[in-house]
Amino acid sequence: MTTHDFHPQVKQLLDGELTLTDLPPELRAEGEEALRLLAAVDREPVSLPAVTWRVMAALERKRQRRWTRAAWLLAPALAAAAALVVLLGRPSRPTASAPTGMVTVRFVLVAPGAHQVCVAGTFNRWDPAATPLVRSGSGDLWVATLSLPPGQHQYAFVVDGARWVPDPTAPAIDDGFGRRNSVLTL
Amino acid sequence: MHAETGAGGAGPSDGEIVRAVLAGDRERYAVLVERYRDRYARYAARMLGSTDAAEDAVQDAFVRAYDQLAQCQDPNKFVGWFFLILRNRCFAEQRKGRSHVSLDAAGAVPTGERSDVATETAERRRALQRALMGLTGEQREVFVLKHVEGLSYMEIAERLNTSVASLKMRMHRAYDKLREQLREHA
Repeated sequence: MTTHDFHPQVKQLLDGELTLTDLPPELRAEGEEALRLLAAVDREPVSLPAVTWRVMAALERKRQRRWTRAAWLLAPALAAAAALVVLLGRPSRPTASAPTGMVTVRFVLVAPGAHQVCVAGTFNRWDPAATPLVRSGSGDLWVATLSLPPGQHQYAFVVDGARWVPDPTAPAIDDGFGRRNSVLTL
Repeated sequence: MHAETGAGGAGPSDGEIVRAVLAGDRERYAVLVERYRDRYARYAARMLGSTDAAEDAVQDAFVRAYDQLAQCQDPNKFVGWFFLILRNRCFAEQRKGRSHVSLDAAGAVPTGERSDVATETAERRRALQRALMGLTGEQREVFVLKHVEGLSYMEIAERLNTSVASLKMRMHRAYDKLREQLREHA
């Protein structure tokens, strides 16, 4: 036991097994010092909102690398198709069902508590109700799959018909009216 | 921070989501990330000493958990299993000598306090976090789980699969070391 060691009863105080008044008078000052230590503990919550898209984008990049590697082994044509995959958030890939020249794009949003989610953008004249997403299972995940022409598209999600939400996984630009539009380049 | 609570009654259970992801619905994984990223952010931030380092660790742990999802023996206990992956990640970071003492916790003082009080609070938090980074990883972890996350010794013992007696021994050494370091830097 060094001069820095707390008395065993003070450690019980720190553990919450004793209160300051349980300590004998000669240990009160040491007990108060111990409580000051605990009072400095930072219990503020920490929020990491970017982690969701960072994780999903990392998984998507890994998936693309696997596809690309497999494609190079299988056939050059397949490799070319894999190279057209765009990043997650709107993970997409050309499919046989897509009209010629169109690219199939999947829009995904995690929206806890939402009752309706739509996507509005340059591809549907910013109609907030034209393109609803479908709830995936019974959870918070909403999904819509669209065929879009190559080029640049701007869009945002519309939650419950009123709240415009940019895609957290996509780059965004100012729309000139104080709102952020997500940008998808195909 | 409570392990194995699942969805808390709202939305699909962790087990349902894990099984859906393993069945190929990989976007559902975003629901698990949303559900737990902030719950464990504070643990990682206090273990590593900075929010930036915590963000990297939490992201990496979720990506690793996804890669190893088939090894999650009880999908309903995903969160406890994920915690151990994050814990390993935090300890690995410490072994690499990359403990971060950016002390960003100091900025998180409650708003509305008088500025001199806020400054003093921030300085005390900063000093304690600096002292925490001087503990061993095992000592710091038990301190963080008990005094930051508010778990009991019994809950920590269950989570880390160890005994209450050994946790108390670890914690009591931590108290002495913190006192020593705080006095040296007072």
